Amino acid sequence: MTVVIIAGFSIKIPEIAILEQTARNLFLHVPMWFTMMVAFTMAFYYSVRYLNDEEIKWDRKAETATAIGLVFGICGLLTGSLWARFTWGTWWTFAEPRMNLSALAMLIFVAYFILRSAFNDAEKRAKISAVYNIFGITTIPFLLYIIPRQLPSLHPGADGNPAFSDMTAPELRLIFYPAVIGFIGLAVWMMDIVNRYKKVKFISES
Amino acid sequence: MSNKFTQEPTRSAVDTLYADRWDGVEGVEQASAFIQFMASNDLIFVVLGVSLIIWFVLLFFMIRVDRKVTSLEETLKENQSTEEA
Repeated sequence: MTVVIIAGFSIKIPEIAILEQTARNLFLHVPMWFTMMVAFTMAFYYSVRYLNDEEIKWDRKAETATAIGLVFGICGLLTGSLWARFTWGTWWTFAEPRMNLSALAMLIFVAYFILRSAFNDAEKRAKISAVYNIFGITTIPFLLYIIPRQLPSLHPGADGNPAFSDMTAPELRLIFYPAVIGFIGLAVWMMDIVNRYKKVKFISES
Repeated sequence: MSNKFTQEPTRSAVDTLYADRWDGVEGVEQASAFIQFMASNDLIFVVLGVSLIIWFVLLFFMIRVDRKVTSLEETLKENQSTEEA
């Protein structure tokens, strides 16, 4: 896993430049969103598992996966904003559906943590936040994939096109896919660390 | 800096979002030193900025986890000493 991450970073240096070098951002900005999707999918699975057998460990894992997904989503937003400044000429524009809808998606998950902090009873908190998480994650494919593809947009992947199209050189894929795997591996590793911390804390408190 | 970034500064960059040609990096001569620096060298510093953003956000997250682990260790140590006493 670490090897994959290192490869994803070091191989990218000798690459052809289109979009004036910022094409390299593809290896950094896009995997953020892929990783976020994977993390939220895991959170969805854990939330369903929690409602299924009501073991507190699934709630722990769901919370961790959502937190990691949110971290990567915020990374994606910030990097996208910086990238937009130098290719579209603005930090933020409300004419761009994907940008605004992804910000909205982030707010949904910020609300998840606010909801969690509102309960003192662990079981109640786990149950309600699991239900909220399932609903919240269901909106993600619509906000990030379906609606932006229907609307005109500068972002690649608008107007019904897949994001990989004419403006992406095929050589970029060679680095892109290892980078995606690397970032997902990093996210899973971070989740594992946080989960182990929460488990020890739970044991020590009980 | 190369001359391809120069333009007539009449339109703002956002107005050109749906035009055939994007004016994102044009007119940087009037902009601040930070923007000029970022637009130099074929925008390679944008890539640097993007990787730094990711690095610092992840670093911030891991430092937070580290702090939590430290406080947990301390409470565990306190619990042990109170049990012994």
